[in-house]
Amino acid sequence: MALKTCIACGMPMGRPADFAMGDVTREYCVHCARPDGSMQSYPEKLRSLTAFIVRTQGLDERAAETGAAAMMARLPAWKDHRGKG
Amino acid sequence: MQAMAEAGLLQATTKDIARRAGVAHGTVFAHFRTREDLLCAVIEELGARVTGRLHQLASGDHGLLALLEAHVQGLIENERLYTRLVAERSGIPMRAQYTLVMIQSAVSFHLSAALDRESRQAWRGSRPPELWPLHLMFNTWIGLLHHYLMQADLFAPGEPSVLRQHGPTLARYFHALVADERKV
Repeated sequence: MALKTCIACGMPMGRPADFAMGDVTREYCVHCARPDGSMQSYPEKLRSLTAFIVRTQGLDERAAETGAAAMMARLPAWKDHRGKG
Repeated sequence: MQAMAEAGLLQATTKDIARRAGVAHGTVFAHFRTREDLLCAVIEELGARVTGRLHQLASGDHGLLALLEAHVQGLIENERLYTRLVAERSGIPMRAQYTLVMIQSAVSFHLSAALDRESRQAWRGSRPPELWPLHLMFNTWIGLLHHYLMQADLFAPGEPSVLRQHGPTLARYFHALVADERKV
């Protein structure tokens, strides 16, 4: 399978289990999907990415949030986001 | 990228960069409006290379040791510029500073997944008790690597890569530490 990259977090998706709902036609990954399969919103993704950085790298929460926002700004799903909810 | 790796992110001049690229000085500014834009593009490319290589090497549900070795290998391939980023991060433009957080997020993602897989195998499918926060383990690994990178002249004088010389041992040592702490 050609390697796709999640449009919402940048994670490479190499196996069906990496895709939202295991559906390889989706553009986003299992970590960026809500339980119903729809893609998380910007605030939801910012919150979860910030929590991931705090948990795994131990950064101060505000620094982690700035880092998460900087990472998200480079991704296709959020490129046009300008502080919208 | 090579000019910044050798002279430093803030020290490399646009004249040096143009000379290495074999283009006229003015051509640099035809592609990048300012030196800051050029620096940010170089750091972004570094981030893409390090994380892309890690994803490539770490794919396939390998164990923790294989992941650590893959991380070391990806850094060896970009060692001088990565070391400059670690050393000079606080002095570069804010938008480039967070590239290091992005790189470490990719590493911590793979590291925590590999650790989880290994722990579940050792604990026969159940999750072992987390004795220490995950970030302390991650930062111990990164701190170890960065210590060797920052003191490369002491650990591997005259060598092109301190991680090529010491990285495999550091990976095995750290894996043994984690295995002891997590009882995996």
